[in-house]
Amino acid sequence: MGGLNLGESTLQLVNYLMIALILVALPLHFATHAFLGVTSQEESLTYDSVIGRYRASATVILLAALLTGASYHGLYGLRKILLEVSSGHRWDRVVTMGIVAAGILMLGWGLSTIIVAVTGT
Amino acid sequence: MIERVGNLARSVFRRPLNLEKLAFGIQRLSGVGILLYLMMHVFVTGTVTGGREVWEGMMRLLADPMADVGKLMLFIGATFHGVNGMRVLLLELTPLAGRPVRPDYPYRVQSLGTGQRLILYLAMIMAGLSAIAGIFILWGV
Repeated sequence: MGGLNLGESTLQLVNYLMIALILVALPLHFATHAFLGVTSQEESLTYDSVIGRYRASATVILLAALLTGASYHGLYGLRKILLEVSSGHRWDRVVTMGIVAAGILMLGWGLSTIIVAVTGT
Repeated sequence: MIERVGNLARSVFRRPLNLEKLAFGIQRLSGVGILLYLMMHVFVTGTVTGGREVWEGMMRLLADPMADVGKLMLFIGATFHGVNGMRVLLLELTPLAGRPVRPDYPYRVQSLGTGQRLILYLAMIMAGLSAIAGIFILWGV
Protein backbone atom coordinates (compact mmCIF):
# COMPACT_ATOMS: atom_id res chain seq x y z
CA MET A 1 0.00 0.00 0.00
CA GLY A 2 1.78 3.16 -1.22
CA GLY A 3 4.94 3.63 0.78
CA LEU A 4 4.59 0.19 2.36
CA ASN A 5 5.35 -1.37 -1.07
CA LEU A 6 2.57 -3.94 -0.84
CA GLY A 7 1.30 -5.09 -4.23
CA GLU A 8 -2.40 -4.81 -5.12
CA SER A 9 -2.67 -8.61 -5.32
CA THR A 10 -1.32 -8.92 -1.76
CA LEU A 11 -3.86 -6.33 -0.53
CA GLN A 12 -6.65 -8.24 -2.31
CA LEU A 13 -5.46 -11.53 -0.79
CA VAL A 14 -5.52 -9.94 2.68
CA ASN A 15 -9.01 -8.65 1.84
CA TYR A 16 -10.19 -12.24 1.15
CA LEU A 17 -8.75 -13.33 4.51
CA MET A 18 -10.52 -10.43 6.23
CA ILE A 19 -13.81 -11.40 4.55
CA ALA A 20 -13.37 -14.94 5.91
CA LEU A 21 -12.66 -13.48 9.37
CA ILE A 22 -15.81 -11.32 9.19
CA LEU A 23 -17.89 -14.35 8.10
CA VAL A 24 -16.85 -16.14 11.31
CA ALA A 25 -16.74 -13.22 13.76
CA LEU A 26 -19.88 -11.29 12.73
CA PRO A 27 -22.42 -14.10 13.39
CA LEU A 28 -20.71 -14.73 16.76
CA HIS A 29 -20.92 -11.00 17.55
CA PHE A 30 -24.65 -11.05 16.73
CA ALA A 31 -25.04 -14.18 18.90
CA THR A 32 -23.49 -12.38 21.90
CA HIS A 33 -26.23 -9.76 21.47
CA ALA A 34 -29.07 -12.24 21.06
CA PHE A 35 -28.65 -15.50 22.99
CA LEU A 36 -24.98 -16.24 23.81
CA GLY A 37 -24.59 -15.26 27.48
CA VAL A 38 -27.66 -12.96 27.41
CA THR A 39 -31.41 -13.45 27.27
CA SER A 40 -32.26 -10.51 24.99
CA GLN A 41 -30.76 -7.71 22.92
CA GLU A 42 -31.94 -5.15 25.52
CA GLU A 43 -29.99 -7.00 28.21
CA SER A 44 -26.91 -7.19 26.00
CA LEU A 45 -26.83 -3.39 25.78
CA THR A 46 -26.84 -2.74 29.54
CA TYR A 47 -23.62 -1.27 30.93
CA ASP A 48 -22.79 -4.34 33.07
CA SER A 49 -23.31 -6.72 30.13
CA VAL A 50 -21.12 -4.63 27.79
CA ILE A 51 -18.31 -4.34 30.36
CA GLY A 52 -18.68 -8.08 31.10
CA ARG A 53 -18.06 -8.89 27.43
CA TYR A 54 -14.98 -6.67 27.34
CA ARG A 55 -13.58 -8.47 30.39
CA ALA A 56 -14.13 -12.00 29.02
CA SER A 57 -11.07 -13.06 26.99
CA ALA A 58 -13.05 -14.96 24.29
CA THR A 59 -15.37 -12.05 23.48
CA VAL A 60 -12.61 -9.45 23.64
CA ILE A 61 -10.54 -11.43 21.09
CA LEU A 62 -13.69 -11.72 18.95
CA LEU A 63 -14.29 -7.95 19.12
CA ALA A 64 -10.67 -7.12 18.29
CA ALA A 65 -10.71 -9.56 15.34
CA LEU A 66 -14.00 -8.17 14.04
CA LEU A 67 -12.77 -4.59 14.40
CA THR A 68 -9.61 -5.41 12.43
CA GLY A 69 -11.40 -7.41 9.72
CA ALA A 70 -14.28 -4.98 9.20
CA SER A 71 -12.04 -1.89 9.25
CA TYR A 72 -9.67 -3.39 6.68
CA HIS A 73 -12.44 -4.64 4.39
CA GLY A 74 -14.41 -1.38 4.59
CA LEU A 75 -11.47 0.96 4.10
CA TYR A 76 -9.96 -1.20 1.35
CA GLY A 77 -13.30 -1.06 -0.48
CA LEU A 78 -13.51 2.72 -0.02
CA ARG A 79 -9.96 3.04 -1.39
CA LYS A 80 -10.94 1.10 -4.50
CA ILE A 81 -13.96 3.37 -5.06
CA LEU A 82 -11.89 6.53 -4.57
CA LEU A 83 -9.15 5.31 -6.92
CA GLU A 84 -11.82 4.94 -9.63
CA VAL A 85 -13.07 8.51 -9.12
CA SER A 86 -9.79 10.01 -10.36
CA SER A 87 -6.32 8.87 -11.38
CA GLY A 88 -2.70 9.88 -11.16
CA HIS A 89 0.23 9.15 -8.88
CA ARG A 90 -0.56 12.08 -6.54
CA TRP A 91 -4.24 11.09 -6.18
CA ASP A 92 -3.28 7.46 -5.48
CA ARG A 93 -0.88 8.60 -2.79
CA VAL A 94 -3.35 11.02 -1.15
CA VAL A 95 -6.11 8.37 -1.12
CA THR A 96 -3.84 5.63 0.22
CA MET A 97 -2.42 7.84 2.94
CA GLY A 98 -5.92 9.05 3.88
CA ILE A 99 -7.18 5.47 4.10
CA VAL A 100 -4.18 4.39 6.21
CA ALA A 101 -4.80 7.37 8.54
CA ALA A 102 -8.51 6.46 8.83
CA GLY A 103 -7.53 2.85 9.57
CA ILE A 104 -5.09 3.88 12.30
CA LEU A 105 -7.75 6.17 13.80
CA MET A 106 -10.47 3.46 13.76
CA LEU A 107 -8.20 0.71 15.11
CA GLY A 108 -6.65 3.08 17.64
CA TRP A 109 -10.04 4.23 18.92
CA GLY A 110 -11.50 0.72 19.00
CA LEU A 111 -8.48 -0.95 20.58
CA SER A 112 -8.09 1.83 23.17
CA THR A 113 -11.75 1.24 24.14
CA ILE A 114 -10.95 -2.46 24.60
CA ILE A 115 -7.81 -1.75 26.65
CA VAL A 116 -9.52 0.82 28.89
CA ALA A 117 -12.58 -1.43 29.38
CA VAL A 118 -10.44 -4.50 30.10
CA THR A 119 -8.08 -2.80 32.56
CA GLY A 120 -10.75 -0.55 34.04
CA THR A 121 -8.44 2.49 33.88
CA MET B 1 -14.39 15.83 -8.03
CA ILE B 2 -18.16 16.05 -7.36
CA GLU B 3 -18.76 15.84 -11.13
CA ARG B 4 -16.63 12.69 -11.31
CA VAL B 5 -18.54 11.09 -8.42
CA GLY B 6 -21.78 12.05 -10.23
CA ASN B 7 -20.52 10.46 -13.47
CA LEU B 8 -19.60 7.31 -11.59
CA ALA B 9 -23.08 7.16 -10.00
CA ARG B 10 -24.81 7.91 -13.33
CA SER B 11 -22.85 5.14 -15.08
CA VAL B 12 -24.90 2.61 -13.07
CA PHE B 13 -28.13 3.82 -14.71
CA ARG B 14 -26.69 4.54 -18.18
CA ARG B 15 -28.15 2.46 -21.01
CA PRO B 16 -27.93 -0.42 -21.66
CA LEU B 17 -29.27 -1.15 -18.17
CA ASN B 18 -28.50 -4.54 -16.72
CA LEU B 19 -28.93 -6.26 -13.40
CA GLU B 20 -25.20 -6.72 -12.82
CA LYS B 21 -24.52 -2.99 -13.16
CA LEU B 22 -27.33 -2.19 -10.73
CA ALA B 23 -25.97 -4.76 -8.25
CA PHE B 24 -22.51 -3.16 -8.61
CA GLY B 25 -23.97 0.26 -7.71
CA ILE B 26 -25.98 -1.04 -4.73
CA GLN B 27 -22.98 -3.06 -3.50
CA ARG B 28 -20.83 0.09 -3.39
CA LEU B 29 -23.54 2.30 -1.91
CA SER B 30 -24.32 -0.26 0.82
CA GLY B 31 -20.58 -0.75 1.45
CA VAL B 32 -20.01 2.97 2.05
CA GLY B 33 -23.13 3.06 4.27
CA ILE B 34 -21.90 0.10 6.35
CA LEU B 35 -18.45 1.71 6.68
CA LEU B 36 -20.03 4.94 7.96
CA TYR B 37 -22.07 2.87 10.43
CA LEU B 38 -18.91 1.02 11.54
CA MET B 39 -17.11 4.31 12.21
CA MET B 40 -20.10 5.52 14.24
CA HIS B 41 -20.36 2.15 16.02
CA VAL B 42 -16.68 2.26 17.07
CA PHE B 43 -17.22 5.77 18.43
CA VAL B 44 -20.49 4.87 20.24
CA THR B 45 -19.05 1.74 21.89
CA GLY B 46 -16.07 3.87 22.97
CA THR B 47 -18.38 5.82 25.28
CA VAL B 48 -18.54 2.78 27.57
CA THR B 49 -15.13 3.85 28.92
CA GLY B 50 -16.77 7.07 30.19
CA GLY B 51 -18.71 5.10 32.80
CA ARG B 52 -22.28 3.97 33.40
CA GLU B 53 -23.92 7.42 33.09
CA VAL B 54 -22.23 8.30 29.80
CA TRP B 55 -23.14 4.88 28.33
CA GLU B 56 -26.77 5.06 29.45
CA GLY B 57 -27.01 8.63 28.09
CA MET B 58 -25.77 7.39 24.70
CA MET B 59 -28.28 4.50 24.74
CA ARG B 60 -31.12 7.00 25.44
CA LEU B 61 -29.90 9.11 22.50
CA LEU B 62 -29.96 6.04 20.24
CA ALA B 63 -33.51 5.16 21.29
CA ASP B 64 -34.65 7.89 18.85
CA PRO B 65 -37.09 6.59 16.16
CA MET B 66 -34.83 8.00 13.42
CA ALA B 67 -32.05 5.73 14.70
CA ASP B 68 -34.42 2.78 14.13
CA VAL B 69 -34.89 3.86 10.50
CA GLY B 70 -31.09 3.90 10.19
CA LYS B 71 -30.90 0.40 11.71
CA LEU B 72 -33.50 -0.87 9.20
CA MET B 73 -31.48 0.57 6.30
CA LEU B 74 -28.43 -1.12 7.79
CA PHE B 75 -30.20 -4.54 7.98
CA ILE B 76 -31.24 -4.29 4.32
CA GLY B 77 -27.91 -2.95 3.08
CA ALA B 78 -25.80 -5.42 5.06
CA THR B 79 -27.87 -8.42 3.93
CA PHE B 80 -27.63 -7.45 0.26
CA HIS B 81 -23.94 -6.58 0.62
CA GLY B 82 -23.17 -9.95 2.25
CA VAL B 83 -25.06 -12.18 -0.20
CA ASN B 84 -24.07 -10.21 -3.31
CA GLY B 85 -20.49 -10.12 -1.98
CA MET B 86 -20.49 -13.94 -1.93
CA ARG B 87 -21.61 -13.86 -5.59
CA VAL B 88 -18.72 -11.53 -6.48
CA LEU B 89 -16.30 -13.78 -4.56
CA LEU B 90 -17.53 -16.81 -6.51
CA LEU B 91 -17.18 -14.82 -9.73
CA GLU B 92 -13.58 -13.98 -8.87
CA LEU B 93 -12.44 -17.28 -7.41
CA THR B 94 -14.45 -20.02 -9.17
CA PRO B 95 -15.38 -20.92 -12.76
CA LEU B 96 -18.93 -19.65 -12.15
CA ALA B 97 -18.32 -16.77 -14.60
CA GLY B 98 -19.62 -17.38 -18.13
CA ARG B 99 -17.25 -18.44 -20.91
CA PRO B 100 -16.12 -15.69 -23.30
CA VAL B 101 -17.77 -15.83 -26.75
CA ARG B 102 -17.63 -13.76 -29.94
CA PRO B 103 -19.83 -10.66 -29.39
CA ASP B 104 -22.52 -11.41 -32.01
CA TYR B 105 -25.81 -9.48 -31.98
CA PRO B 106 -27.93 -9.66 -29.79
CA TYR B 107 -25.17 -9.23 -27.18
CA ARG B 108 -25.58 -11.20 -23.96
CA VAL B 109 -23.67 -10.50 -20.74
CA GLN B 110 -21.50 -13.62 -20.37
CA SER B 111 -20.46 -12.95 -16.77
CA LEU B 112 -24.04 -13.15 -15.49
CA GLY B 113 -24.73 -16.85 -15.99
CA THR B 114 -27.57 -18.85 -14.43
CA GLY B 115 -25.70 -19.49 -11.15
CA GLN B 116 -24.71 -15.85 -10.79
CA ARG B 117 -28.22 -14.66 -11.65
CA LEU B 118 -29.73 -17.02 -9.03
CA ILE B 119 -27.40 -15.70 -6.30
CA LEU B 120 -28.25 -12.13 -7.31
CA TYR B 121 -31.98 -12.90 -7.04
CA LEU B 122 -31.26 -14.57 -3.68
CA ALA B 123 -29.49 -11.37 -2.52
CA MET B 124 -32.58 -9.33 -3.44
CA ILE B 125 -34.97 -11.78 -1.74
CA MET B 126 -32.80 -11.93 1.40
CA ALA B 127 -32.61 -8.11 1.52
CA GLY B 128 -36.42 -7.98 1.21
CA LEU B 129 -36.85 -10.56 3.98
CA SER B 130 -34.43 -8.70 6.25
CA ALA B 131 -36.49 -5.54 5.65
CA ILE B 132 -39.63 -7.41 6.82
CA ALA B 133 -37.76 -8.98 9.78
CA GLY B 134 -36.30 -5.58 10.68
CA ILE B 135 -39.74 -3.96 10.73
CA PHE B 136 -41.01 -6.76 13.01
CA ILE B 137 -38.00 -6.53 15.35
CA LEU B 138 -37.82 -2.74 15.56
CA TRP B 139 -41.50 -1.81 15.65
CA GLY B 140 -43.20 -5.11 16.51
CA VAL B 141 -45.68 -4.63 13.64
